[in-house]
Amino acid sequence: MAVSDTVAASDAGAPRKQRFSSDLPQVWIGMALIAVTGFLPSFLGNSYWVHTFQLVNIYIAAAIFQNFLFVDAGQKSFGQGVILGLGAYVTAIFFGLHDYSFAMAAAIGLGAAALGGLLFALPALRVQYFHLGFVTLSAAIVFPQLLMTLDRWTNGINGISVEMPELHHEIGLGLSPLTILVAVYPMLALWVHYFIRRSRLGRQMRVAAISPEGARSLGIKPGLMRFTAFVIAAIGTGICGILYLPTVAFVSPQGFNVELSFVFFFAVVVGGRGQMLGPIIGIWIVFILPNIALAGFVEYRLLIYGFLTLVTVILFPDGVVGTIERWRARRGVAGRGEQAFRVDAFLDRLKGDRVAEPSGNVAIEVRGGTKKFGEVIAVNEVDLTVREGEIHGLIGANGSGKTSLLNVLSGLSRLDSGSFVINGREATRLAADRIANMGVGRTFQTPRIYPQFSLWENLKVGMDARTGDTGSDMDALARALEQEFSEDSAELLSHGQRRLVEVMRTVLKEASIILFDEPAAGLSQSERANFSRLVRFLSRQMGKTVILVEHDLDLVWGIADTITVMEQGRIVASGNPEAVAEDPAVQHMFIGGRRA
Amino acid sequence: MLLEITVIVVRGIAIGSIFAMIAMSFNIVHGATGILNFAQGNMLVLGGFAAYFLANAAGLGWWLLMLPVAGILIAILVAFQGWVTLLPLRSSVEQDSWIISTVSVSVILGAAVLVTQGPFTYTVQGVVPSFRILGVRTPGAYALAIGCMLFWFFAMRIFLRKTFLGLAISALRQDFDAARAAGLPVRRLQIVAFAISGLMIGTAGFLVAPVISVSSDAGLRYVLNGFVAAVVGGIGSNLGTLIGGPLVGVVGMLTAYKIGGAYQDLASLLLLIAILMLRPQGLFGRSSARRV
Repeated sequence: MAVSDTVAASDAGAPRKQRFSSDLPQVWIGMALIAVTGFLPSFLGNSYWVHTFQLVNIYIAAAIFQNFLFVDAGQKSFGQGVILGLGAYVTAIFFGLHDYSFAMAAAIGLGAAALGGLLFALPALRVQYFHLGFVTLSAAIVFPQLLMTLDRWTNGINGISVEMPELHHEIGLGLSPLTILVAVYPMLALWVHYFIRRSRLGRQMRVAAISPEGARSLGIKPGLMRFTAFVIAAIGTGICGILYLPTVAFVSPQGFNVELSFVFFFAVVVGGRGQMLGPIIGIWIVFILPNIALAGFVEYRLLIYGFLTLVTVILFPDGVVGTIERWRARRGVAGRGEQAFRVDAFLDRLKGDRVAEPSGNVAIEVRGGTKKFGEVIAVNEVDLTVREGEIHGLIGANGSGKTSLLNVLSGLSRLDSGSFVINGREATRLAADRIANMGVGRTFQTPRIYPQFSLWENLKVGMDARTGDTGSDMDALARALEQEFSEDSAELLSHGQRRLVEVMRTVLKEASIILFDEPAAGLSQSERANFSRLVRFLSRQMGKTVILVEHDLDLVWGIADTITVMEQGRIVASGNPEAVAEDPAVQHMFIGGRRA
Repeated sequence: MLLEITVIVVRGIAIGSIFAMIAMSFNIVHGATGILNFAQGNMLVLGGFAAYFLANAAGLGWWLLMLPVAGILIAILVAFQGWVTLLPLRSSVEQDSWIISTVSVSVILGAAVLVTQGPFTYTVQGVVPSFRILGVRTPGAYALAIGCMLFWFFAMRIFLRKTFLGLAISALRQDFDAARAAGLPVRRLQIVAFAISGLMIGTAGFLVAPVISVSSDAGLRYVLNGFVAAVVGGIGSNLGTLIGGPLVGVVGMLTAYKIGGAYQDLASLLLLIAILMLRPQGLFGRSSARRV
């Protein structure tokens, strides 16, 4: 009770915090901008601008999906023009050449675009990073070539004309159905992007994009996330292609060359990567500027795209909107020092009456585990048993194989021989995300903090990874954390606080086994004491099993129930702290006090 | 039949050795910086333009003199590009701005050539006369391409293993932080790596100018085929490029003869997807220890 009082009191006392994310206001501004540019020319009866902004708005929608793919999923695609082209061309073929109804043709066109997305997405299951950049760029080069060569179906260089007069008829206020459609669609795309970003899927995608290992330790499959993102973007961009057809009334191979893909990509960079408004401002600059304002210099168009993008990357890497947003965010920043993130108050909520003791059950058992990196044997024939609910210290000099063993246990690397069991289930060959879903959580030597997320979202990705139902006290804890931290930045946290955030994330994940990789490194004396209490709490109050890889021997001896000593990949001693301290094999570690 | 196979194999290997050289020029920069230069294909084409403007239909002596000149000009250009590319990486948390900057440089170079030279393909007269293999007339530049590939393969092998500068660049490949801690001027070495890749690709472009497409839009196609060659061989492995390059070249030729020239790039794309799905580390790639 006392806890919620202090939370409420601090809320009332503090001034209202500035919003952490400006996504929502940006969506509203974006809607307004699209509405003005989309409808105003019709009201004024200027048919040139009506047509121009119809095309601009379609490109904005395509750039919005590029933005989503680029930042939320971390995938650099140079082939979104192909997806748009597939949607437009296939619709044109069935509608214009084979007299299908437009709805039917559009459905087939959308299917083709989605298939194109699948072509990009399949390699994304296996690889990432620059590989997909080359795959998509290849596709952007091959696509117009195929449109030319497959002229039996595509009409080759002559292209396909279509007429859809009913979409161009005015239905009031100077507006045609087409004008309304192509203005509403990018608005819709903004909302789709916004809601995906706020969803569990969106958060998991972003975690996977920033830190694949961090994602896998939260039960996320990065490949699947990339795959899903490509398919979502393909469907969204395919619809742009369908809208392109009635707008331009003509498709030809030259309309879908690699330049189109570059326009979308460069627009996102220039406008501001990841910003909701970025694609709108970006298309205005990248597309309107060279094509309309400098229409006399059409041949310089590509040169202008290239220079704008290069200059942006080097001088304003955040792009136009991103630079403004950074300035806004910086204005509102006030470090909260020690108060920025503390967990004691929140943990009090979880304090039960019970006091857990290590049980006789086995949580983790490794048998003959060996891990080699080339010639180096990092983990050598290791047998290790960790009891449920105990704090198991794993110590040894640098390079003795502790972290390698931890990586094996969390599934990030695989044993070359031997096996291990987690909670009675064989886990030797399981992928990291499967092991995470068995209730294993871990921290990393460098805490995985995602600055794009608010402090609360940084914690919430732990909750997103939960596999079972939660208790009501956990929900109450989550609500309190949300209230306190939803508008805070995680970027200014000290190292110790970042560490706590990571621990808290595993608590919210409700992991039953927590692996700590050198958690005390870089912590101050008082932070170490707090951390010791926290680990004790996790074990004794919450009944969690803890494996602690650590160099601070005082800390380990202070809290561990069992200690295992590794040397050159082998286990040289293991047992209760008193026995291990007496073991001649480890005496040399204590020279000059208990610090290794 | 034999004739056809000879043509496919000889031309495939020769064109493929151009891809192999692009892949090798990728490797030196990738090893030193983690960057893959998307503009490398344009640099090859610029080497071709250098041959056109400096030594078209020239005598052997002048041609030989202009070869290092072309190489050095491209090396300076690539080194400058490298310097620009590395600028934002100095402090930024985000380490992948290079994809955007090298792609935009590629677009700028292609557009600059288009604006100044027009959308034409330039013909460069070869200095080395054509010869016959099994009765098939073969342009001399094909032999130069294969020779150039082998020259740079062995030159890089010696450079990276025997010279101080080469060993320092190899050290970057192992571990940036350790190299910096050991007192190596990391940024300068990285720019040297860019310059060497420029020297490599500039001389290659100069030598093979008679048999490549010297035009504004060709750069992207070369860089993509070069990338496929690098991936097939395993990124970072020069030995792999000796296999990967010719393989990509022969597959392209085979496609051109059996299905049609317009499908060559499609064949490379499908080869790329297949290798990424089946063996993403390539033929000679190593799976390295994961860093956590």
